[in-house]
Amino acid sequence: MFFHYIDLSWRSLKRTPLVSALMVMAIAIGIGITMTSLSVYHMMSMDPIPHKSDQLFAVQLNTTDDGNEWWTSDNVPLQLTYKDAMYLHNAETPVRKTASIRTAFTVHMNNQDVKPFLSSVRAAGQDFFTMFDQHFIYGSPWSLAQEKAADAVVVINEETNNKLFGGTNSVGKQIYLDDSIFTVVGVTKQWQIHTKYYDLNNGSFNAPEPIFIPLTLWEPMQLVSRGNTNGWKHENVTTFEGQLQSEMFWVQFWAELPTENDVKQYHDFLFSYLTEQGTKGRYTREKPEFNLQDVNEWMEYNKVVSEDNKILVGLSFMFLAVCLANILGLLLGKFIRRAPEIGVRRALGANKRQIFLQHLVEVSVLGLLGGVIGIGIAQLGLWGVRVTSSQYADLAGMDLTMVLTAPAIAIGACIIAGLYPAWLVCKTQPAIYLKTQ
Amino acid sequence: MLSMKNISKVYQTEKVQTHALRDFNLEVKEGEFIAVTGPSGSGKTTFLNIAGMLEPFSGGEFMLDNVNVGSLSDNERADLRNQKIGFIFQGFNLIPDLSLYENIEVPLRYRGIKAAERKLRIEECLEKVGLASRAKHLPQQLSGGQQQRVAIARALAGKPRFLLADEPTGNLDSLMARQVMELLENINSEGSTIIMVTHDQELARRAPRNIQVVDGQLADFTLYQNKSSDSVAERVQQSMAEV
Repeated sequence: MFFHYIDLSWRSLKRTPLVSALMVMAIAIGIGITMTSLSVYHMMSMDPIPHKSDQLFAVQLNTTDDGNEWWTSDNVPLQLTYKDAMYLHNAETPVRKTASIRTAFTVHMNNQDVKPFLSSVRAAGQDFFTMFDQHFIYGSPWSLAQEKAADAVVVINEETNNKLFGGTNSVGKQIYLDDSIFTVVGVTKQWQIHTKYYDLNNGSFNAPEPIFIPLTLWEPMQLVSRGNTNGWKHENVTTFEGQLQSEMFWVQFWAELPTENDVKQYHDFLFSYLTEQGTKGRYTREKPEFNLQDVNEWMEYNKVVSEDNKILVGLSFMFLAVCLANILGLLLGKFIRRAPEIGVRRALGANKRQIFLQHLVEVSVLGLLGGVIGIGIAQLGLWGVRVTSSQYADLAGMDLTMVLTAPAIAIGACIIAGLYPAWLVCKTQPAIYLKTQ
Repeated sequence: MLSMKNISKVYQTEKVQTHALRDFNLEVKEGEFIAVTGPSGSGKTTFLNIAGMLEPFSGGEFMLDNVNVGSLSDNERADLRNQKIGFIFQGFNLIPDLSLYENIEVPLRYRGIKAAERKLRIEECLEKVGLASRAKHLPQQLSGGQQQRVAIARALAGKPRFLLADEPTGNLDSLMARQVMELLENINSEGSTIIMVTHDQELARRAPRNIQVVDGQLADFTLYQNKSSDSVAERVQQSMAEV
């Protein structure tokens, strides 16, 4: 019967082509607008590492004096001081963890073949690649020995490898970062994340750094942070060493804690560390304050999806509701005009449920058509977003989930709009119309 | 087979109650061909609608094949209607954008009959009404008489126990009307029970049993097999005069 209803729906649409086209376009435009904003929202808010987002924890330590305010919801700074980050980084804890800092270099090959270019570079521990699921095309992360020895080694991404080495296996080859020679130990696959969740300081939706070096090079090379640095009290920092020992916050820190027990143990470890620091009189705070927040909590905490984005999605759904109100009116007119035919069908044995289903299938077909066209309109909208806003360029796209969601929303919305007209027409008293046909 | 006892039907508006049927009693036996006559507005169609379960009645008892219709839900009445009753309407009531084949298929689909059996039944019914070669035509491509034959084929396809016909020849010229009547007589002779509402006294006379509805009641109830039809006309005229 379902396929028969689809056949009847198709005939019905063909019988009133103008009204049908109006309804399909109304739902298509509504869906197009809705899916444009919803797709961006979806990309912004989607779990960037779903299989282990509940195992990766951003670490926050409040090493400010009591009464000091921060802009976070719980007054805890987002980053760590260098000395705290390095202590946690080097601590003998049985978990993967890494401090990391964003910096930048001029990349060149010391020859005429490749034009030098400025690139963001992340200084991190070797655990970074495993923790954040970076996959290697060639080579591997640097070894622990190389990290401890502060060897001048580098991991580059696929795009950089294409640019510098034409996509060939570059492991063992050398590149220049400013004036220093680095040996390539690994080439990673292009990292497809829409949200740069491991460092939300300089734009949540910026691309990940294409080049990584060991964090242990920070001190010998006296590198400069290209991320955010936040102070909370007056400090006369004039030297590189002074910055390393300062109470300014400029280092990101993550730990991978696969089990609840790991979380608890690391929690205790942080508690002990902060208690010890407090005892040493480093800050005035009655009890230690710190956070361990998993990836999704961290994104929520940092308001990756702003209120504006949520309002935009809300408004687009309201626009869809307006489109649906129009469709409801058209459906009412169309279905009520069909009452005599329904009267005949009822006289011939159709029960109310069958008539109701027939009309719901018809509105579903409308929704499906509108949804498919709506995907096209949404693609147009997303293209507009990409062209006009570089910040959202990587986010303005539809993944498979969104492509499937569009017709689902369209069908669902049309069914909602069609419920009342279908209910009204299924209540048709056949006797009223049989004489008047 | 069909039994109505003290059936009443009241149409209620804000200020006015209209009694379309009152104390309506009727027994119909299997295989009967009954012509229902009466003046306009007397309640003939209301009776037929109630007999066909197209509208509810206000009071009384209506048994159809030992099923108490009054106790059925709307959906149960629809199922019973689909299984037991075939309708023939004055205006044919074919669905315009379905072919003849698909029109006849409508009640069979609602009954859940499989496609192969539907095909057999439809072809058989089209053959019976002499339109086998027009199965793919649309209703508007046929004459009025042909459309009514399709409507009859549609009513027959479900092999109903009752055929309810509301002025089946009302929109046809006399030649076509006679052909349709002959078709109904043939169907009746094959065992179907037919209740036909008509204004046409000539056609009514051809039915073995005539009943008259006047002012919502069964004014007369007589078997007219092999009797003069004049008395029917006289009684109708008398009834109309009383109204």
